[in-house]
This record gives sequence, structure tokens and C-alpha cells, in this order.
Amino acid sequence: MLAWLLRGFRQRWNGWIAISGIGAAIALLPSLYIFTGIWGKPGENWGHIRDYMLIDYALQSLLLVVCVVALTVAVGVSLAWLTAAYEFPLRRILSFAFILPLAIPPHIAAYTYGDMLSYTGTVQRLLRNGLGLKLNQAYFDVMSMQGAVFIFTMFLFPYVYLMAKSFLERHSASYIENARLLGQHPLYIFVRVVLPISQGAIVGGASLVAFEVLNDYGVSKHFGIQTFTVGIFKTWFGMYDIESAIRLAAMLMSVIVGLFILERLLRRRKRYHAAANRSAPLQRRKLTGFPAVAAVLFGSVVVLASFVIPVAQLTAWAVWTYADVWNDSFPELIGNTLAICLAAVLLIMLIAVIAANALHTWRSGFTLVASKLLSMGYSMPGAVLSIGVLAVFLSLDHSLAGIYEWLGLGAGRLVLSMSIAMLLFAYVVRFLSVGFNAVDAGREKLGTRLSEASRMLGYSMTRTFFKAELPLLRGALLTGAILSFMEVVKELPLTLLLRPFNFNTLSTKAYQYASDEQIHYAALPSLLIIALGIISVSLFHLLGRRGHE
Amino acid sequence: MKRKYVAGIAAIMMGASMVLSGCGDNNSSKGGEEGNGGSGDKGVVNVFTARHYDIDFAMFDKFETETGITVNEIKGTAEELVERMKREGESTEADLFITVDGGVLNYAKESGVLQPIESEAIFANVPEKYRDTDNQWIGLATRARVIAYAKDRVTPEQLSTYEALAEEQWKGKLLVRSSSNLYNQSLVASLIELNGEEAAEQWASGVVANFARDPEGGDRDQAKAIAAGTGDVAIMNTYYVGQMLHSKDAEEVKVAEGLGVFFPNQATTGTHLNISGIGLTKHAKNKDNALKLVEFMTGKEGQEMLTNGSFEFPVNEAAELPELLKEWGAFTTQTLDFAKLGEYNKKATELMNKAGWK
Repeated sequence: MLAWLLRGFRQRWNGWIAISGIGAAIALLPSLYIFTGIWGKPGENWGHIRDYMLIDYALQSLLLVVCVVALTVAVGVSLAWLTAAYEFPLRRILSFAFILPLAIPPHIAAYTYGDMLSYTGTVQRLLRNGLGLKLNQAYFDVMSMQGAVFIFTMFLFPYVYLMAKSFLERHSASYIENARLLGQHPLYIFVRVVLPISQGAIVGGASLVAFEVLNDYGVSKHFGIQTFTVGIFKTWFGMYDIESAIRLAAMLMSVIVGLFILERLLRRRKRYHAAANRSAPLQRRKLTGFPAVAAVLFGSVVVLASFVIPVAQLTAWAVWTYADVWNDSFPELIGNTLAICLAAVLLIMLIAVIAANALHTWRSGFTLVASKLLSMGYSMPGAVLSIGVLAVFLSLDHSLAGIYEWLGLGAGRLVLSMSIAMLLFAYVVRFLSVGFNAVDAGREKLGTRLSEASRMLGYSMTRTFFKAELPLLRGALLTGAILSFMEVVKELPLTLLLRPFNFNTLSTKAYQYASDEQIHYAALPSLLIIALGIISVSLFHLLGRRGHE
Repeated sequence: MKRKYVAGIAAIMMGASMVLSGCGDNNSSKGGEEGNGGSGDKGVVNVFTARHYDIDFAMFDKFETETGITVNEIKGTAEELVERMKREGESTEADLFITVDGGVLNYAKESGVLQPIESEAIFANVPEKYRDTDNQWIGLATRARVIAYAKDRVTPEQLSTYEALAEEQWKGKLLVRSSSNLYNQSLVASLIELNGEEAAEQWASGVVANFARDPEGGDRDQAKAIAAGTGDVAIMNTYYVGQMLHSKDAEEVKVAEGLGVFFPNQATTGTHLNISGIGLTKHAKNKDNALKLVEFMTGKEGQEMLTNGSFEFPVNEAAELPELLKEWGAFTTQTLDFAKLGEYNKKATELMNKAGWK
């Protein structure tokens, strides 16, 4: 076994694999550091946590994830199917608007809805002062399990929508046209054809949703839902027991890695290949009468709830607090945010391309596992990951101490761990999987025939990559870059903890206000984050359209 | 050919990492170099702070213009910052640590990241009761956790103590935020110290039984729930009432105006106080500047600035109170050592969990 592995290794060994191997090892360090927590000595409170909290956390998380996944799939897939297979009024605008919620960080949405529906919020205020209604508060209780499910569904369904739609548009035509020719009812087609064939895409989108929900801290904490991640923070901050918190995080991570593997298996088992390699795009049928009205209505309600209403509310607050909040440091905030996000995206994509390339030249169980491990950072609550990153950088600083002294920086100085490099590293570890998955998917679509032909013609792997593969991967690269940009813009806990002195971003500024229960003041920075998100979403959309036509 | 490309990529990566660490260098050397030579009257002071108020920032700004000393800050939650300082050890760049809650201040002390402050000027500003026994931290401002009540449905005569909130008469009427909130943990910790663990646990169970709804939101949300009629009494910090009364939002002002503020346990153990405080880090490299900042923040002018912006109570008795705090009048406070709040924090969290306080 080992000899076989070694032989394979020697045969395929080259610069690409060397670089990605080293990259993977470095990116893995923080996760491994945390992961060892599961075998480490349990903290003093472990018994108490196990007896009184663990089951509750697990059940609440499970309930939340199951509900959110079910609803995001329902909403995401039906919208994808509607826009991919039918023509109806406003279709173009709506199909774009369904991606926009991605620009809104769920915790900001939660704060916005929470305040908007509160006793002094816009809704009740209008009803009370305008119509003189005295209302039962239970109707407005968004800060609950149902509320959390609503928020996550509304702001995460685009993941499912995007993946299902792009699959349906590009790969489903032959099945669906056949079913249509056979005169099947549209509902039958949806249930018996669309759902099964797009299973892979749905599972892909749904697992992203599940990871987001499991890692969320902001929404659950604000709404008082006892999820696993909330439990991790409660153990750390309430009991000052970081060992137990890390242990909980390691457990959560195992579950998520398990989900990853499950996702792989589910996607592996059923793979539908289009009969011809270049299947024609799906022909949209025109909806008229009631179905058309229903489609427009359904789409508009979703867009209103997931984008228009929260943004309108934030805009109203921003207008209201603008004078107090805007100051000279704001342009700097925007500049900081842009600079750090772009730098992070550049690094993420560079590493993603190298890793994906290595993976595709040497596909084996070993490299597949390695590539999944690369994504481990995505499965950890940000604040816990930051402990791992800090540990790595501190030891790095300590081992470089001699060099620092030689450079005249002084003894015992923290250079790397007080610098922006640590934050960038953390972003890479956390979001590498976003960029990697996009590139990986792009490569999978390319297939191996082209590169094999190029290699047979005597081109080196590197030359093949630059001459043949990279140009074809352009779309996937941009997709990965845009998606990871959006993630980094929205990111909070890592930025909060690992940034250098006096380095603020829009996200930390919004957090500062929101955590002091001053959500109205947080509106302006929040809107700017959303604006950056919308720009990226629009680029992404344009790109998709161009690729499609 | 192959080698050339690989070398090229390696060069790009090296370049990228050099640019990155270059960025870092500039960034930290700006603070660092000045910091190392900062024994004079100019220089820097590096603050790790878990307080996020704009007023704190305004104070740093004022300090900068008055002294020429640059204040650098990193914000985060207290526990994260302490963990960071622990891990950074003697290499830490932090000079001062600021946070709210006596329990956390004690946690920082126990974690060994602070050192005693020895400054007569600061001691003159802050009475002993608002300082750590070893002066490892110094109080900046206090906050009273009180009972807010619906003026139209509850009379102050019905209210007496925290303990009484667990009684039958408040069934379905009591509002409070979740047990993961520090203020609640510290309140329960104070009750453990005053009444014993068993009584505190019974109290927590009684309180949970009286909940008007599952805990959710922050202190302001409890105030709103009173206005909405969801419950009649809420445990909350006074300064939120102050901030709501001064809100630009007319509805929030209306909510706050409907609230009465009751300082409990006046005849017994006194109202529970919590404290914001500041500590000098064990490995502070800009100690003189750090002490100057502490002196400024606890001085009369600094204290007035602070409490006018946040509606907390000043620790410096010379400071003039904001009008609102004067209106509430003087009250008796718990005389506990704040360190006890930290000591019992874990117990408090545990028994709240057991009582089913979400």
C-alpha cells in the first residue's frame, strides 16, 4: 500500500504538486491545531457541558439546519425551474434579483428584521400610530426559531437557486424536452425529472447552506437560538473554558467533514450525463394567464422579503443617521475593506488554481481527501479558527525571532502576527474552498481530453496549463474570485480579532454599532457592504449570461 | 521549460508574500519603532478594548490632541482579547486592556496578563472600592442593573428586591435577556456570594418560571416588550434607559418614558453594580504613556466626557453627573468585591443552565 502510494508519488511528483502540497500543509495547520482538541485534555467544565448542554445544542442545530435546508431547496429549486424553463413577465429582472440576497450578511438581515418588527419598529409603528391598532406581539416575534429559519432561508436560498439554475439551463434540456414531448404534466416533470436530475446541484447548494447555518453565530445569538456554535461561544466566554470550546468546535468540525463526504458520495452515485456533449439550452415555454400571474407574484414576494424590504429599511435608517455616522474615516474604511478583500481574493485564487491543477493531474483517493481537507477552514466558526491562526503565527514569529533581531527590529517582537499578513492568511484558510470549488468545478467540466492531447503533443504540464487550460478556465476563475470576494466582504469574526491596530473595515464598523444595540447607526456601513456585494453579484450575473449566450 | 515556469510561479508567490509581510512591516513598525523609543513624552499607547462606544474613541482623540501620544486600538470581545494576550505572552504589543464587567476583569487578572498599576494620581481619581485588590485593574465607570417597570401597570411599592422577582406574583410578567449575557451572569454571581449557591439556584428557577417569554434580544428589547405589554417588569442596565431617553427616535423615547427605574435591594444588600475597567498589561512596552491615558480617562474631565456619552456612573467622585443620573438620585449599592463576580461566574452560568434559563 505504502509502496504503491510512494511509487505513484514519485511518478507524478512535480512542481505543481510540491507547491500545492506545501500550501495545503500550511493551510491545514490551524484546522489541525483545533482538531487535536478532540483528543486533548477536556476542560474542567466538560462534564457539565456534556450533561446539560450538548444534546440541546445538537438538537437545536439539527432542527435549524433541516428546516433551513428543506426551505431553501423548496424556494431555490422552484425559482430556478421557473426562470430556466418558463418565460413570463419580469423574468429577466427577477432571475437577477434572486441572486441579490447573497450581498446581505445574514446577521445584518437579522438585526434589520428584528428591529423593523419590534415594538418601536417601522411596521408596528405604522399600524399603531396610523391605524390605532393594539397588536399581539406574538405576531411579530421574528426573534425565534421560526424567525431564524425565515432569515436563513431568505438570505441563503440563492446558493441553491444559482447551482440548480445553471445546471438546468445547461444540462437538462434533453431530458425535459423528451418529457415534454411525451406530453407529461409540468408538475410531473418537475417532481419526476427536474428534481432527480438536478440532485447533484441541489445537494451542492444545500450543503453550502448547511455549512453557513452551522457556522453562523450572529443570527442565532441575536435570536436566542441555542445552536452548537452559540454553545462554543458560551463555553468560551461564559465559562472561560477554551479547551472545552475547542473540543466542541472539533466535534462540530467532524460533523461537517462528515457532511462533506456524504455530499461527495451523493453526488458521485448519481450522475446524469447529457446524451450529446453539446446539449442545446433549454427552450423556455411561455406562461400566460393565471400561471404567469402566480409566477410573477411568487417571485416578487421572495425579492421583496429577501432584498427590497431590508435594503429599504436600512436606507431609511442610513438617511436618518447619516450626519452622525459619516465622518472623515469613512473613505478610509471603504479603502481598507476593498484593499484587504482584493488581496485576499488574489491569494485565494492563486492557491486554488495551483491546487486544482495538481489535483486533476493526479486524481486519487489521497488527493481527493487532501482537497477536502483544504476546505476544512470553511467548516469552523471564525472565532475558533482565529485561535488556530494565531497559534500558527505566534510560533512562526518565535522561530523567526533571530532574523528579526538581525534585521534590527528588536528582540521578542511580533512582526507577522501583528501584521495584515495574519488576517490575509486567515481569510485564505477560511475561504479557500469557495475559490477552489469554483475552479475545481470548471476543471471537471473541461474534462481531461484536452490536457491529455496537449501532453501527448509533448507540451509540459505547465505549458499545457497556461496555453490550453487557463484560457478555458477564465469563467470559473472569475466566478470563484467574485464569490470569495463577497464572502470576505461579509466576514466578521476573523477580521475583528486578527486585524492590526487601528485597522477597521465596514464589517467591523457595522458590528460595533450593532453590538451596542444601535442598529440604526450600523445602517450606513451595512449598506456599503451590501453595495459592494451587489456590484460583485452583478458582475457574476453578467458573466453567467455571457457564458450562456 | 517546465522548470522555468515552476520557478516563475515560485517567484510570484515569494513576491506576493514579501509584499504582504512588507505591508505588515510598515504597519507594525509605525507603532513599533515609536513605541520602542516611547519613553519620552510623545509616542504611542496600544489598547486592546472590548468597549465599542464612539465616546471612547472620542476620548482617545482628545487625549491624542492634548498629549501628542497616539492611541492605537484593537477591538474584540474581552475573552478573545485575553486569549490573544495569553498566547502572545511577553511579545504582546498591547499596553492596556479595557472591558466591561467585573467578572471579565477578574478573568484577565487570573489569566496573568495584567500587572499592578502604581500611580498615586490614578488612586486619587478612583476610590478603592472601584479598584482591584491588587490594583491590577482600575474602574472606569459603573453600571447599575436595575428593575425597569411599566409605569402604568406597576407601582414602585410592588417592587423590593431581585429576590422578590422569583415570587409567584410576577408569573408571566418578567422579562430578561439570555443567560449568555455577562450582565446576567454577574448578577447571579453576586446572588451566589450574598445568599449562597442553593438560594441562587432556586432564585434562577423561580425567575425562569416567571418569564413572560423566552429570553431574546438585548436590554432595549426588554424595554420595548414592556411597552408592548408582553411583560411588566424587566431586569436591565440603567444606561440603556438613558440612551433610549436621548434617542433621536421618538418611539424609543416614548418607550423609555413609559418605564420606571427601580433600584432594588435598597433596604438589604444594595443594587447590583457592574463595572467597566482598565488594566495595564503585564508586558506593556509603553507603560508611561499607558498610565497617562488611564489617568486621563479617570480624571474629572475624562469622567464627565465618558458618562455624558454613555450614561454610566462615573467612578471619580469629583465628576459632575449628567442631569438624568442626578434625577434618579443616590442609591445604595452592593458592597461586593468585584473579583467575586469572576470567581462565581462559572457557577452562575452552570446554575442558569440547570434552571433552564436560555
